Amino acid sequence: MLDPELEIHPKEKILRKRKNQEKINLIKAILLDIFFVFYAILVLQRAIYYKVILDLRELPFSWAEVILILIISAAIGIIWGYSRTSLGTRIMGLGKETKSARLISEIFAWTLFNLTFIAGWLVTKISLIDLFSKEGIEGANRIFHALFTPEFGIFDDALFAIIETIYLALIATLLSIPPTLILSFLTARNLMKDHWYTFMIYYALRIILNFVRSIEPLIWAIIFSVWVGIGPYAGMIALLVHTIAANAKLYSEAIESIEEGPVDAIEATGANKLQVIWYAVVPQIVLPFLSFTIYRWDINVRMATVIGLVGGGGIGTMLMQYQGLAQWHEVGLIVIMIAFVVWIMDYISAKIRESIY
Amino acid sequence: MSSNVIVEVRNLHKVYPSGTHALKGVSLNVYEGEFLVVIGLSGSGKTTLLKCINRLEEPTAGTVKFLGKDITHIKGKELREVRTHIGMVFQQFNLIKRMNVLSNVLAGKLGYMKTLPSIMGNFPPQCIQEAMKNLDIVGIKEYAYERADKLSGGQQQRVAIARSLMQSPKLLLADEPVASLDPATSNSIMQYFEKVNKELGVTVVCNLHFLSLVRRYATRVIALKSGEIVFEGLPHEIDEAWFKKIYGEEAEEVEIR
Repeated sequence: MLDPELEIHPKEKILRKRKNQEKINLIKAILLDIFFVFYAILVLQRAIYYKVILDLRELPFSWAEVILILIISAAIGIIWGYSRTSLGTRIMGLGKETKSARLISEIFAWTLFNLTFIAGWLVTKISLIDLFSKEGIEGANRIFHALFTPEFGIFDDALFAIIETIYLALIATLLSIPPTLILSFLTARNLMKDHWYTFMIYYALRIILNFVRSIEPLIWAIIFSVWVGIGPYAGMIALLVHTIAANAKLYSEAIESIEEGPVDAIEATGANKLQVIWYAVVPQIVLPFLSFTIYRWDINVRMATVIGLVGGGGIGTMLMQYQGLAQWHEVGLIVIMIAFVVWIMDYISAKIRESIY
Repeated sequence: MSSNVIVEVRNLHKVYPSGTHALKGVSLNVYEGEFLVVIGLSGSGKTTLLKCINRLEEPTAGTVKFLGKDITHIKGKELREVRTHIGMVFQQFNLIKRMNVLSNVLAGKLGYMKTLPSIMGNFPPQCIQEAMKNLDIVGIKEYAYERADKLSGGQQQRVAIARSLMQSPKLLLADEPVASLDPATSNSIMQYFEKVNKELGVTVVCNLHFLSLVRRYATRVIALKSGEIVFEGLPHEIDEAWFKKIYGEEAEEVEIR
């Protein structure tokens, strides 16, 4: 005799769910196939046909043509996807397990890869002639000679600038810790999956953080140098924003990979959520967190240099100024100092991380 | 046998999201003061059964009653209150490795504490005294200030027992508590469970693998096979035939002393 709750047998429910999932996956697979075919035709037409065979300088472009190709590839993609022999269905794990189906998708994958490589080669304008021409070699000679005979007259200024860079990176790293901590708990799946409203928060924050992280610190520096003015402050905020987004992901992954046992054990004592986090989660993540943060300081010193190039202050700004004036001996000194500091930072941060484990 | 029922399980089903049907209509009573041992192969549903009793897992169907109260679907504060009366010991000990032994034992009191003082580590002196007393019961008082992961497996399991005693539990669940220990240590750990059961009067429900331990410590035995109860009785009633029925025709009993 079964309980009424078991009347809709959970197993059937799960099977139904799985079937739905499979339908969604097939749609995803077909969309992938359409994209692959579209991409292949486009590359064939524009890179191979126009550029190599017709050797055109200016490539003709019309939307009508693109839409036509899209319709053709949609047709091919749908038919191919339904036959379950396509690359998309193989990627989504829905492909037929026959030898010929496997072969077809593998050959297509290889073709895509080779097309991409050829197109990439053409786009990059790779040319051995430029690399080894007479003028080219002379120019390289001039720069290398200057870089290896640095001008020590600007040593004091460069020293102050590089100290500014190190502090800027340090402050950005330190200020990032509290917000990163809070965000990492809110974006850890294992802590947030239990209720729909915490899961919504989890999802929304993940999307925002992914977005912030996908924008490079260099671009954040451009934004903030307009916002708060050129200088170290803009560089610091740019690093801060990117550090929070990047480390929140690393931290939350550390939280997601903790041992579940202690969590069970503390929950079993009747502890509430905060107590469980404090006793069972926090002790397991303190070390990874420290390690990530120290490593991030190291990264930030390097990034701060680059950020300086767009007006984020410190040694990078100085480098840009001398580069603009083509004073290569001064640039030489700055490059040597940056290399030295980065090497030292790398060494120190590695040693600290070793010793805390 | 005392007739006071402490846990009443009726027609319990558990289906995991993966589709595994771990428990298929299990019904049983746990009586006050007994040492009930649950045996069965790995994957027979033993762990799930225990976790449904203290609700680390939520049953799919059926009911679980603890001291006459239906706890099958309770949540939040009500659930935490019930959990404070049920201790649990795990196969992997599940201590907080980076904390010292005393802090680990004190963690057993969390359900009775307010959030803020417990997070600050502000345990009242009588709690600390109680923790030392419980460490003394399991014979490792001198390790109170060692880091938990510096201890051997057997010692860690004793810390786990002391932690559960902090709850002053009415019921102690033990999920294969000796499965990752050597035979000699296994026996000594089981003696601590016996001590807790006989001297402190705590009802014990324990999952075990080794029949020799079952015969020695259990007052009653239940055997699970693929999510169903196939045997219920006294330890000495499990003979060769029953053993093969529970563990499969291929199985042979291994002696452990």
